Amino acid sequence: MKKKAASVVLAGAMALSLAVGCTPVFAGETEAAATGGATLNPNTKNAEELTLWHYFDAAADAKAIIDFANEYNELQDKVYINPTYVARQELMNQYTIGAVSGELPDIGMVDSPDMESYISLGVFEDVTKQLGDWEDLDKFFPGPLSSCKDADGKIYGLPQNSNCLTLAANMDALKEAGIDKLPTSLDEFKEDVEKTTNSDKSQFGFAMCAISTEEGTFQLLPWIVATHDGTKTSLTNLTDEKAAIGLDVLGGFVKNGQMSPECVNWTQADAYNQFCAGKAAFAEIGTWHLASIDNDVNGAFEYQITTLPTGDEGTSSSTIGGENFGVCTGCKDVDEAVNFLKWFMSKDSEERWAVQSGKLATRSDAVPVYTYQEDNFKIFQKQMDTALARGPHDQWPTISEQIYTAAQKVFLNGDSAADALKAANDVIAPILESDPLPEQ
Amino acid sequence: MTAKKRRSNGRRTREAYGFILPGVLYMLVVVGYPIVYNFILSFKDTSVRNLATGTSKFIGFQNYIELFHNPTFILVLKNTFVFTIGSLIFQFTIGYLLALFFYKKFTLSGPIRGLMLIPYMMPMAVTGLLGQNLFLNSGLINNLLSKVGIAGPAWLTSTSTAMIAVVIMNCWVGIPFNMLLLISGMSNISEDVYEASAIDGAGRMQQFWKITMPLMKDSILAVLMLGFIYTFRAFDLMFIMTAGGPLNSTDVLGTYSYMLSFTQYQFSKGSAVAIVLFLCLLLIGILYLLLLRKDDKEEEA
Repeated sequence: MKKKAASVVLAGAMALSLAVGCTPVFAGETEAAATGGATLNPNTKNAEELTLWHYFDAAADAKAIIDFANEYNELQDKVYINPTYVARQELMNQYTIGAVSGELPDIGMVDSPDMESYISLGVFEDVTKQLGDWEDLDKFFPGPLSSCKDADGKIYGLPQNSNCLTLAANMDALKEAGIDKLPTSLDEFKEDVEKTTNSDKSQFGFAMCAISTEEGTFQLLPWIVATHDGTKTSLTNLTDEKAAIGLDVLGGFVKNGQMSPECVNWTQADAYNQFCAGKAAFAEIGTWHLASIDNDVNGAFEYQITTLPTGDEGTSSSTIGGENFGVCTGCKDVDEAVNFLKWFMSKDSEERWAVQSGKLATRSDAVPVYTYQEDNFKIFQKQMDTALARGPHDQWPTISEQIYTAAQKVFLNGDSAADALKAANDVIAPILESDPLPEQ
Repeated sequence: MTAKKRRSNGRRTREAYGFILPGVLYMLVVVGYPIVYNFILSFKDTSVRNLATGTSKFIGFQNYIELFHNPTFILVLKNTFVFTIGSLIFQFTIGYLLALFFYKKFTLSGPIRGLMLIPYMMPMAVTGLLGQNLFLNSGLINNLLSKVGIAGPAWLTSTSTAMIAVVIMNCWVGIPFNMLLLISGMSNISEDVYEASAIDGAGRMQQFWKITMPLMKDSILAVLMLGFIYTFRAFDLMFIMTAGGPLNSTDVLGTYSYMLSFTQYQFSKGSAVAIVLFLCLLLIGILYLLLLRKDDKEEEA
């Protein structure tokens, strides 16, 4: 009878585990939340179908990619571009698995700092032959373009859009604290954050994202790689005492209740939402936020945007973000896929995409005529001049982990910034020694 | 035994092998191959650099040696045990008490028992998101605590409390599971035994300790064993609720292995972590079988 009891229990458990075990963590390939009513026209010309995987989930982007595919499919009759939305995390897993199994799309979208790793993994096809002598190639900004190349200079795709980070300020909160100008140096910023912190209104001085993913590194880097007393720090001299200044200031914000420690769990969207809800006087925001900020603030307060005050007066640093499109290994028609990319990243397409989806163009000859937020886009364009690319380096994920870990040690454990960066440097230095980062 | 009988026995054995062949093949392909592949991978140096070129080399136990010298891995190993044992203690004790309670038939006991299962039926991803919001610094839990005059801790942003929050969420899911299995174990104990003991003058407590507990031993063992296995290989709860953070304080073997393989592309190291996880569970499984066998022997004696 004992046996029977045990078997009943086990059978029940198995049945239950089956029911629960079937629930996937990720939804896999799902339709984009909103495509603004855009639908892909059918393949009436019977052209060869090229699948394109992307993770554009913002409504403007999701509509734009379908509009652009329709336009290109109409324009020529050799290939039919079929864009498919795959959730970002799932897309990255698919690339890694596809590197072994060979199941990849014909064209794939990738976050620029990840491209180098995927090139190493063999996810992307070398298209130097098709793109090497394209006369437009030198029109692309060097930072974004370098992320499409490997260490030997071979090219695997093209940068499609760029963005960077700036500082958004709640002017009502500043006025209330008696501040009449935007901060231009780290010292000024430190004072302003202190003044604008108002615990009665549960308003923090500053909000940023320091989450333990690439997003955290993206937002933290400008504060680490900055200019102090005329010395510019970089990832190769993290042990320099000047390198610790920015992180020290941010750590002070957390310690003094001027920045929420929950920033270590916030995505960039969370930090931005804190700002829009009036819970932070300043926030580090990205170019893509310009498309929605008026709507999200909804007239609750006046806001302004300025370059990030990360170091000495007159200096500023930021990080370049953006997405590349590459031709995947095993693509059905590499030449035609490259032709599509050439059209997709042409001067005209870049200009239109930047306006339609609130991004910066990746080409210097593209001059998008923004129909909204013109002045703020100019600030982002200006910030781009001092923004640094991450990598390209095939071990960037390991370097990135060290950056956000160092910051979290300072924010949560109260470690000194110098100690935290020294620990990070112990891991980063050997990696960069054997395979240095390109000059920028 | 006559020769003829032995022959027919042999034929029957052969037929039996024929019947289990599809099952064995399935296991070999779907379960065996990945485990063997993972084992081999964990003894190589496969990473982002050489996966595509296929030039990875065998490096013996190097991955394992490096892991056990890595303070993060030691922390992760410790976290896994703290999470598992912490969750088991609470979800089993509370689950058992609830099982005793709901085993009694009273008005609405059936529907309430059914409702209790809701946390278990929810996808872990949803539970994780729920946990994330409940344990915000100004979330529901701290809000309730402040109502009774307690200043709640910064649950998910402190390395000392994040694990507690994750264990609480896991117990929330695990309690109904334990309760359900224990109730089904209890319903296997014949009412006659209780009746007979009552006639002999046994009190409630005596019945619990002398009848319920001994007769439930197998169910309890099975519940604890399954609980251990489910909890030890936890992944989705942490992945969604804390992503292993802050500062690896809720990283367990499952999430750490995933991070190494799929974020940092250190495939062989990730495999080695998965093998450590596998070996821990294998040990527990063997222990379970030994306990069952010992039980059988006692029964036979």
